Amino acid sequence: MNIESLVADLAAKVPGVVLAADPSYVKSYPTMRLSSAAYLLPAASFLKERGFDYLEIITAVDWLGPVSPEGYTRGGRNPHPFSAPEAPALVAVKNPAAAYKPAFDMLWCLANIPARARLLLRLEIPREDPAVPSLTGLFKAADWQEREVFDLLGVRFEGHPNLKKILTPDFLQGHPLRKDYVHVKDRYDE
Amino acid sequence: MSELYPKPVFSKKAGRLLKTRLWPTERWASPWSQPQYRRSAGMLAGIIFGILLVGVVVGELSKWGDLLYRLLLTGTAWLHQTLPAYGAPAGFLGDAADITWISFKVIVIVAVINLNGLWAVWWERKLSAHMQSRLGPMYAGGFHGWAQTALDAVKLLLKEDARPADADGAVHRLAPVVVIVPAVLAFAPVLFGKELAAAKLDVGALYVLAVSGVSVIGIVMAGWASNNKFSLLGGLRSAAQVVSYEIPRIFAVVPVLMFVGSLDLAVIDQAQQGYWWGFFPRWFVFWFPAGPLAFLLFLIASLAETNRVPFDIPEAESELVAGFMTEYSGMKWALFFLAEYAYVLLACFMLSVFFLGGGAAPLPFLAIVPSWIWMLAKALAMMFLFMWLRWTLPRFRVDQLMDFNWKFLLPWSFACVGLAGIMLLWI
Amino acid sequence: MSKVDAFPGGKFDQLFVNLGPQHPSTHGVLRVGLTLEGEVITKAEPDIGYLHRGTSKLAEARGYHQCVALTDRWDYVSAMPNNLALCLAAEKLLGVEIPPRAQHLRVVMCELNRIASHLLFLGTYGIDLGAFTPFLHAFREREMILDLYEMLCGARLTYNYIRIGGVMADISPEWASKTGEFLGFFKPRMKEYDDLLSFNPIFLARTQGVGLISKEAAVDWGLSGPNLRGSGVDYDVRKSDPYSGYDRFDFSVPLGKAGSCWDRYYCRALEMRQSVRIVEAALAGLPEGDIVAKGVAKTVKPPPGEAYAHVEASRGDLGIYLVSDGGPSPYRLHVRAPSFVNLAILQEMLVGCKVADVVAILGSIDIVLGETDR
Repeated sequence: MNIESLVADLAAKVPGVVLAADPSYVKSYPTMRLSSAAYLLPAASFLKERGFDYLEIITAVDWLGPVSPEGYTRGGRNPHPFSAPEAPALVAVKNPAAAYKPAFDMLWCLANIPARARLLLRLEIPREDPAVPSLTGLFKAADWQEREVFDLLGVRFEGHPNLKKILTPDFLQGHPLRKDYVHVKDRYDE
Repeated sequence: MSELYPKPVFSKKAGRLLKTRLWPTERWASPWSQPQYRRSAGMLAGIIFGILLVGVVVGELSKWGDLLYRLLLTGTAWLHQTLPAYGAPAGFLGDAADITWISFKVIVIVAVINLNGLWAVWWERKLSAHMQSRLGPMYAGGFHGWAQTALDAVKLLLKEDARPADADGAVHRLAPVVVIVPAVLAFAPVLFGKELAAAKLDVGALYVLAVSGVSVIGIVMAGWASNNKFSLLGGLRSAAQVVSYEIPRIFAVVPVLMFVGSLDLAVIDQAQQGYWWGFFPRWFVFWFPAGPLAFLLFLIASLAETNRVPFDIPEAESELVAGFMTEYSGMKWALFFLAEYAYVLLACFMLSVFFLGGGAAPLPFLAIVPSWIWMLAKALAMMFLFMWLRWTLPRFRVDQLMDFNWKFLLPWSFACVGLAGIMLLWI
Repeated sequence: MSKVDAFPGGKFDQLFVNLGPQHPSTHGVLRVGLTLEGEVITKAEPDIGYLHRGTSKLAEARGYHQCVALTDRWDYVSAMPNNLALCLAAEKLLGVEIPPRAQHLRVVMCELNRIASHLLFLGTYGIDLGAFTPFLHAFREREMILDLYEMLCGARLTYNYIRIGGVMADISPEWASKTGEFLGFFKPRMKEYDDLLSFNPIFLARTQGVGLISKEAAVDWGLSGPNLRGSGVDYDVRKSDPYSGYDRFDFSVPLGKAGSCWDRYYCRALEMRQSVRIVEAALAGLPEGDIVAKGVAKTVKPPPGEAYAHVEASRGDLGIYLVSDGGPSPYRLHVRAPSFVNLAILQEMLVGCKVADVVAILGSIDIVLGETDR
């Protein structure tokens, strides 16, 4: 399969999709950037028609800035009197070259098994009340992967039939992979 | 152990210990080359020879037991004649002698069942271990862990008797008893050798098959009273299974009863004495074609009756955790276990009485070895078969199990009865 | 449990059963809530997360080299491919070239680990279906592989052997000869398993035609590894997206036909044979040279960027999405765990099956809960 022609077809069919510029390019795979969440479903269904029917990953990155190690480890541990002091955690240093912004960068990876090709879709959404359309109607593989992203990052997938926590326990407050996550004391803290 | 695990050698060149463990391929290349293996084999041969020797001696002595009983009866008969003159109630002493004798027999039977539980569990553990390239119990008692199950029994006795809070107390307590009592009762007419049985029943075969079917009530009770869904499923599966397999099991015995014309186990045993052409035993398993077929059907149905793999659906460790036994601990659990092994032994004795000639020696010149040794040897060989199957085969699914019974075993058991009828036209 | 819970919706012909989290056949702490009608399942809800350790979060406060140690804890029965996946992603970010000897060693270790993992599957699957003996026979061989690993890197499960830039240690001639010895011992054993388990009529009755997954459903649910190939879909990352020099080896990808439990089982049995071929070829043609790439520092700070790398782990397509902001630790680490994605199909597959089939189906999917929950 000629990936360039497919990319051109996709750009022609869904106008809000462009081949990503270099900085947001995911290494060694062709990456397409969506300009709005509204283009996700048309783009995904177009790709599915063209044989990209294997949804490999769904994930997201919180671009708020590096996480501060303070506040997200469980407190209340009693250090042993003879043990060496704990190594200081790596201090969160903002890299001036990195493009931090208050946004989530979504990522979908679709694969075409017979053609041995895969294509990545990116979409930037705001951090406040993040929501994207769910792909569960097109790919059943999206079911649990979207639940995972919802659980860990708090991105709502509209149209998901069963959007519940999946990995973290029910009493855990917040979404742990958000960069501003602070651990709320629960019954397992001392 | 020193040959199996060589001493570590420190190599200065390599800067580390060498040969701290033998590569398994080296260990299994030729087991016979290892002195320990040869020693064990020799020991095993010695044990078997010793059992035979003891058997011959005890076989000679056992005649004295009958003499003792006869003396007891003569003595009481004499007292009967003399005592009424002194005002003793009639028949009292005769009854006393019978009660003494019966209690003695009951104690022997219960001892057989208990010892069988200890022995069979140990044997099964060793057997499965060697099939799986392990050693099994090795420490308790010294010689190959012979005391392992005895100590396990002590542990079980001392264990807390836990019971679920919502369990139906009375039924939960009663269930192990309902399982074990028929197991003991069913041993009453079982032949342990030629005419060596606790009770001589004219309907021995029928009695054994009927009484051993009662235990399933206890299993259902256990499943229900545990208030556990897995137990309930296990109990219900067991009920369905045991009741269905009872039918082909009984029909598989019918050809034997037709050949003999009696339900008395001693008569069945007697009918298989003697040899064709002077050397070929006249066991029913060799009465082609109905004999071997009935033997196979009875064997399969017995496996199912005793809840052994591949028919261990009620316990199904990987599906129902342990089925009806899940909520039992300590000695209550041990009673279930004891009953299971008692039924295995019962099935093995039944197999050897019905099909393998009972106490008959396989060759005429071997008849000097007493009949109970042959009986026990055949029963243990069958028990070995049970264990061998258990550690080889996977488990049926519950519906496949029922299909197998109703669509395969039952028609063939009918056919077997028909074949036996045709054979009787010529015999 | 109160009586109201036992009968969902107040319907007394339906029974709710908790399979797990403590159950001998869930292979870890998985809970499946089953609603039964008699022995037939009408609804199944897998419940995971009991082993969630948040390795993605932990990685954000650790250096890249330290993260490799975290990967061992995902799929703890085959940790080498996990190491490899993270290292591949980090190396893509760093842009380093791996010496050919290190690449060969990585292939050898991953394939040996695949054998070890499939042996574990084979044994435990036998136990699930009531056959106990194949389990210990499989463990006998698996033990040898673990011994080899112990000899190689000192660890039996959590190897931390494949490092960013190469591998931890070179193999000794003694190791190579022991591995050859193991392969010689192992090859005839595979026929033994077939005789003992694979073609046992009861085993066939339990697994053939049970837990069918069509080609379309397998792709739709995103299955990978032997689960996908058992349904006849020819997808193997080693072939379709070669990494670490897999394209230099000659091996075939076994495919199933019907997509039943038995097909998935036998796919794994055949894969072990292919892995033996690869290990033999890789050890025979082991190039000389370095085992670590030049220029990989103790503290790695890749330039800002994102990379996606995936490997064919023992359970399927293990993908790592790694984001760097130029700092000393990963900015974001996402794991596409094959067990996690494979397990999702359970809720659809179990409906209409018998209770006894649950263990057959769950076992054939071959999950490791450490990887499912991460």
